[in-house]
This record gives sequence, C-alpha cells and structure tokens, in this order.
Amino acid sequence: MGLLTQLVRGLVRGADRVSPFTSKRGPRSHNKGRGAKKLGVLTRNKKFLLVKEMVPEFVVPDLTGFKLRPYVSYRAAEGSEPPMTARQLFDELVAPRIEKDVKDGTFDPNNLEKYGFEPTQEGKLFQLFPKNYVR
Amino acid sequence: MRLSALLSAARPRLPPGYRHGMWPPDSMAARLRNPPGQRRRKVFVEPIAKDDWKVFKGDTVQVLAGKDAGKQGLVTQVVQARNWVVVEGLNTHYRYVNRTAKYSGTYIASEAPLLLSQICLVDPEDRKPTEVEWRYTEEGERVRVSLRSGRILPVPPQPRQDGIVPEQWIGEWDGSGGWEDVTGDTGGQRCPLTHTDGPKDTSEEDALAKTYRPSLKTFEEEIMDAMGIVETRRAKKSYWY
Repeated sequence: MGLLTQLVRGLVRGADRVSPFTSKRGPRSHNKGRGAKKLGVLTRNKKFLLVKEMVPEFVVPDLTGFKLRPYVSYRAAEGSEPPMTARQLFDELVAPRIEKDVKDGTFDPNNLEKYGFEPTQEGKLFQLFPKNYVR
Repeated sequence: MRLSALLSAARPRLPPGYRHGMWPPDSMAARLRNPPGQRRRKVFVEPIAKDDWKVFKGDTVQVLAGKDAGKQGLVTQVVQARNWVVVEGLNTHYRYVNRTAKYSGTYIASEAPLLLSQICLVDPEDRKPTEVEWRYTEEGERVRVSLRSGRILPVPPQPRQDGIVPEQWIGEWDGSGGWEDVTGDTGGQRCPLTHTDGPKDTSEEDALAKTYRPSLKTFEEEIMDAMGIVETRRAKKSYWY
C-alpha cells in the first residue's frame, strides 16, 4: 500500500494549489468579495449612496390558479413544438389583417404602424435590437 | 489538485483496476467487493468498441455453448466492461438466498453471465441464429442487419437510467390503493408512493396543454399590461464598441 492508495483514500500531500482562492479560505484578514455589482455610487465623503434604479426588483404576477409547476410528471410524452419564427408570427397575426384591408381597399402602404410595424426602436422601453432587457 | 478533482466528480469515476460484476457499480455488493485501494488481477476481455456493441437488454439471443447450448432466451442484463450477457433462465446454477441463523435459505436458480462469443443474435422472423452487422439505411439511420437474410433487427426499447417506467407512473395520487397497486418490476423501488406525481409535479394534461397565444408584444410588455405598470422613464442612450 503506497502513495497511490493513500491518494485514493483522500489523503492529500501538500496544499491545494489549483482550486480558486475564494473568500472562504485564508486568514481572517483576507477580505474578498464574490463578484456582486455595486448598486450605487461612493461619494467623496466615503458614504455610499444607493441608487434605487440599480436594485433589481422582481415583478411577479399573481400566480393563483396557475397550473404549471417546477417539475413535469414522468407520464408526459417527450417532445417539443418547433420554435416560433418571425415568419410564423407574421403569418398568424399580421397577414390576416393586411389581407382584410386589401380586400376592403383600405390598405395604405405608408401607414404600416397599425399592423405593428416599428420603423425605429428609439423611444421604446424594451428595444428589440440592440436588446436592452435581460431575458 | 487531487482533492478538488475528487470532490468535484459528480459521477464517481471508477478506479483503473475496477473489477465489474453483475451488480450496479453504486450498490452495496459493489462497495463490498471493490473497496477503495483494492488491486486485483486484471481480467482480459476482447476489446469491442462502444459503437460496435450489438446485443442489448430485451434482445432474443441463442446460447451456443455451455449447459443450455441451442436454447434461446431474453437478455436481462448486459455488462459491456466484461463482454457479458445474462440470459433469463439459461446457464443457471442453484444457490441459497436470504440465509439466517435459523432459516437455511431459499433455493433459487441464478443465471451465470455468458460471453459474447457464446451468444448469437436471432433473426426475428426466422428465429434462427444469424451474424449481425451495423449498417445505415437509406434515411441514414443506423440499424442492425442480419447478414444471412438482410432483415433489420430493431433495437428493443432500453429502460431509463433512473429505472422509472413511465407506463407505471401514476398521475395524481388520489389516496386510493396501496401496496397492492404496485405491479410488475419496480426496479428496486418498493413504496408505491414513489410512483406518483409529487406536489411540485405538473400533471400530464397541464404540461401538454397548449396555452401559448402569439402576440406582437414581448413577454415583459405583456406582464406590464397585465399588472397595470406604467413606465414613462426611458433609459439614457449609451454606446459600446
């Protein structure tokens, strides 16, 4: 029974040099953060001013009567639907309205905003490109 | 380095000289017979690539050598590390199980494993032994083809790694039934309650119900409308490169 068996039994020779040196290791004077973002600004008097807009707030709708739960029963068959594409969305929502307007004769190619067309993303809260919300 | 590597192993890596038996590697029997630090004489097996493996659990095979030569049976267990195949009811020897101080034990027949060279796959229609090869169909699917007749041997449906049989899974348990409701091979699970949905499980109907209604609004905008949140402030324009 030599070095190999001792290693297998979990006895390590020497300190652990490869795993990261986190705030959980080292002496009590070793003060290290874990990568949390600063939620405000440090003033010249070394006082920290919290900026309320930077504090994340979870907006959760009322989930009473919500049937979906974290896990799925094993009886449910595997499989998925094909992902929704832009073309599919257009065909389902916008195309019928445009067809109706063309039949009625009220289609105006200069006024496409009423079908949901957005010429620019400026001024929108949730811009699609460049995406400015976290999902 | 060695400590963190040992600790971070989610799947326990088997030591290099591990001797495989018919038991699963994380059972009491395996731990008894393979204590850490044990070194045994190496068992030499014919090296077969994982892709070339042809025999699966649930296949019908014919035994070519041994006590039950010429008989056909279902494969119940496959141990690829030792090229072993256990056929139900064939190549059996008898032993006593559940011995206690007072009870001499139950006399049962237990199957011994057979090597791949002592086994032959059986053509499904002929019911005769054939040589089998892996080939590709015109659609590109990899199938086992019998060399003698050219028929495809479909791979039987393999059980799940966690041992759960979806057909035996009860949906919402309404409190009726008990031990007598557990039918068939439980795969080691004894309590009937482990076969039902828990409080955190979505039922089958709710999971498969299609409730998506496509809309041009993003998810966040829909929630804002539903909760009546009005946000007139806009983020300042910023640039990145």
